[in-house]
Amino acid sequence: MHIPDGLMDPLVAAAGWIEFLVVLGTAIFLSRSKIRERNLPRVAILSAGIFVAQMLNFPIGGGTTGHLIGAALFAVMVGPVLAVIGMTVVLLIQALMFGDGGVSALGLNALNMAIVAPLVGWGVYTLTDPIVNGQRRIGRGISVALAAWASVFVAAGACAGELLVSYAISGGDYGIAANVSVPAMLGYHAVIGIGEAAITVGLVSYLFIISPELFSAGEPGTAFKGPAKWFTSNTARATAVILIVFALMIPLYIIYASEGRDGLEQTMEEAGTGEGSPLLSAPFSYGETYLQVLLAGIVGFLVVCLAALTILRLLKSPTRRNDPG
Amino acid sequence: MTALHLHDRMFEVHPLDEHASESRLGRLDARAKLVGVLAFVVASALLTKPELVLASLAVAVTFAASSAIPLRHTLRLYLGALPFILLASLSLFLFVGLDNGVAMWARTSACVLALIVLASGTETFELFSGLRRLRVPAIITTLLMLTHKYIGLLTEELSRMTVARRARGFLGGRNLLDRYALKVISYTAGMVLVRSSERADRAYEGLKSRGFEKEMVGWRTKRIAAQETLFMASMLAASVVLLAVQMELVG
Repeated sequence: MHIPDGLMDPLVAAAGWIEFLVVLGTAIFLSRSKIRERNLPRVAILSAGIFVAQMLNFPIGGGTTGHLIGAALFAVMVGPVLAVIGMTVVLLIQALMFGDGGVSALGLNALNMAIVAPLVGWGVYTLTDPIVNGQRRIGRGISVALAAWASVFVAAGACAGELLVSYAISGGDYGIAANVSVPAMLGYHAVIGIGEAAITVGLVSYLFIISPELFSAGEPGTAFKGPAKWFTSNTARATAVILIVFALMIPLYIIYASEGRDGLEQTMEEAGTGEGSPLLSAPFSYGETYLQVLLAGIVGFLVVCLAALTILRLLKSPTRRNDPG
Repeated sequence: MTALHLHDRMFEVHPLDEHASESRLGRLDARAKLVGVLAFVVASALLTKPELVLASLAVAVTFAASSAIPLRHTLRLYLGALPFILLASLSLFLFVGLDNGVAMWARTSACVLALIVLASGTETFELFSGLRRLRVPAIITTLLMLTHKYIGLLTEELSRMTVARRARGFLGGRNLLDRYALKVISYTAGMVLVRSSERADRAYEGLKSRGFEKEMVGWRTKRIAAQETLFMASMLAASVVLLAVQMELVG
């Protein structure tokens, strides 16, 4: 998923850089007390650990292999804020030491793999953990697996979105058409996500057995700081984190809605459809539709959260009464 | 003892930096390389006219050839980026046209090549001190330097474990349904993390004893000399000319 330079439209790449810098700046500000001098080597060694863990290939089948991304693992271990910083360091090292992933595209790569992936991973883990009873081994396995799979899949979705918007607004100079990018990215990463989930679950359960106390740089609500409970600030934070991921995709839609017309107009002109024909109104409604879809997504997410919350309350209240503690 | 020797003794030459010292670029100041190469990469990423993109690829190939970094090494790293490059170029070729497909291939290849030469032709530690001297925030550069240092240690750890694993008959597993293989792989990764965090404290004490305080600083205080100026000027000139023609300011 490492996008090289020159693949994305410059406008999309610039938007990626701006978002990346804003989020990274916020993460550094929020974690300034945590990454004081003494914790700095801890964060660095975790980044190094994730970097090295990425070198481990897992078999997919037919002789092909995939490798861990580790964003969800990072977030589950130390929380979203440190995970954003740590994954950024991993990506910077990959770009500067191996030329793996571009420099102008670093904003987008970081957005996908160092921001969207850990935030989704942590959000999904924190929201599902109390539902599946993350205290037990199986429950924890389910929530970690969901977090790992979702982090890879959503990050791939973001990447596919960037590719198709690049294609649409550049009129075929940059990016990859939607009919290739969406199935290629989502299909491949839906499978890779399974490996990521299996490895992450194995890794977290191993760390639980061997040394649960090791990751003291973590925040409350992560795997090693005890379970999160519904109605705690963690639920609100996880919901906020998922909403931030939605919000991060808004500029992409705005670029598509405003600039995408040029690409479409160009295509229409090439196809012989003149200006002023009824077809030309379509791009506007495309833009509106996409924003509506996005809004619907956010509303839908909130509704699902509320519904889950209500169901959980209904399910949980009798057990709580029976609980002597 | 020169500053160079001191530097090498304190931070042993990293296995990934094996080509940095033999490359002609290795002697240039990291700041000049960063500014020159990054300007070229950003300018190349903005080109869309096929002839200009091919010209920028020619510049990148010349740059790679003159750096004296082994071709094999460059190609190996280029192969890593190739799947994405091919997917993009083939899809543009099929859906838009030959020109766009070729332009996409040449543009991404030019950028990737230039970046590989920058990465391989510079000692990584020096690259990061260069970033710091170019005013990148200290927290980022210090994290980069520390992480880079630990990656060396952990890679060795991982390769020892991989040998041990192979000695016990583990061949890497068949597919995603191979639960045993996935368990072995995840436990290996877990072991790397556990050992890494056990090392964190010792590594920190070691750093402290060598005078580490909040920020890691490079101590090679090289000045920008004629060589560096020449390098930067030629890279910037190439970038400006390519961009000017792309934007139809000249010609």
